[in-house]
Amino acid sequence: MIDTPEFQGTHLFDRLCWAKENLEGHQSDYRVVYEDSVDECAKILVPDPNWMACALQGGILPPVWVYHELARDEAMPTFTKHTRGYLLHDTEPMPAMTEEEAIEYLIMKDCPQSVWRNWDTGNKPKLVICRKEQLPGTREWRNAWKITEELSVTDLAA
Amino acid sequence: MALGKIKADTLEHSTAGSLDTQYVVKGSAKAWARSGSAAINESFNTSGFTDNGTGDYTIAFSSAFSTNTFPGTTAGLGTAARSVNYSNSQTTSIDLDTFVSSTGSRTDTATGFQINGDLA
Repeated sequence: MIDTPEFQGTHLFDRLCWAKENLEGHQSDYRVVYEDSVDECAKILVPDPNWMACALQGGILPPVWVYHELARDEAMPTFTKHTRGYLLHDTEPMPAMTEEEAIEYLIMKDCPQSVWRNWDTGNKPKLVICRKEQLPGTREWRNAWKITEELSVTDLAA
Repeated sequence: MALGKIKADTLEHSTAGSLDTQYVVKGSAKAWARSGSAAINESFNTSGFTDNGTGDYTIAFSSAFSTNTFPGTTAGLGTAARSVNYSNSQTTSIDLDTFVSSTGSRTDTATGFQINGDLA
């Protein structure tokens, strides 16, 4: 396995260029199914293969709280341009993650906080990690897909 | 960082003139991808693809853009007449919406896009 250069202080885009050149993409079998509105169908988050390779390699991606800080800045009514982009580049990068840890990171990065912070409140989970084979085989009735109500928030490990 | 580095402000051809390297740095795409309705096939600077329903997808970026008003281009891939819009631009994501060109109804379509603009 190739060693990651010391990337703290290097622009994240440059790190991604290095990763694209040196790492093999990793197609994950994991999928994240979540519902952020009772009126809409379930959404399915698929990890990017190059991003997953960066997560597994370590030393490239910033901690996920950096994205939350940037999102907070962007949500301000006066926002026009990021002024704290340095957080992406200067914060110590994440060490190598397992694929499962990477999925947890991705959920916190790319799913709405209202979903993952409260995933187990309510009569059924708002978010489920599954393998792609567990999704319907065709996209027929795609807009009616929902997380099954047979899942309980108390026995998800079963 | 242990990488080779060439620093230059100008690229000059022997006969065909010169080019400021800022044109290259500022003008290159900062994120691009080709995706189907269920996965990303080829990409750069994207972290995840969310299938929100028929013809409705979200692409998230790894390296955030400095503003959410960046320009981009999209394309529907294949022989059928399809329209692909991007909307709801955030500094870390965009939505792609795909339609049948003749009717305007949403449909699943393989898409390609690239985003320019400045990074945070």
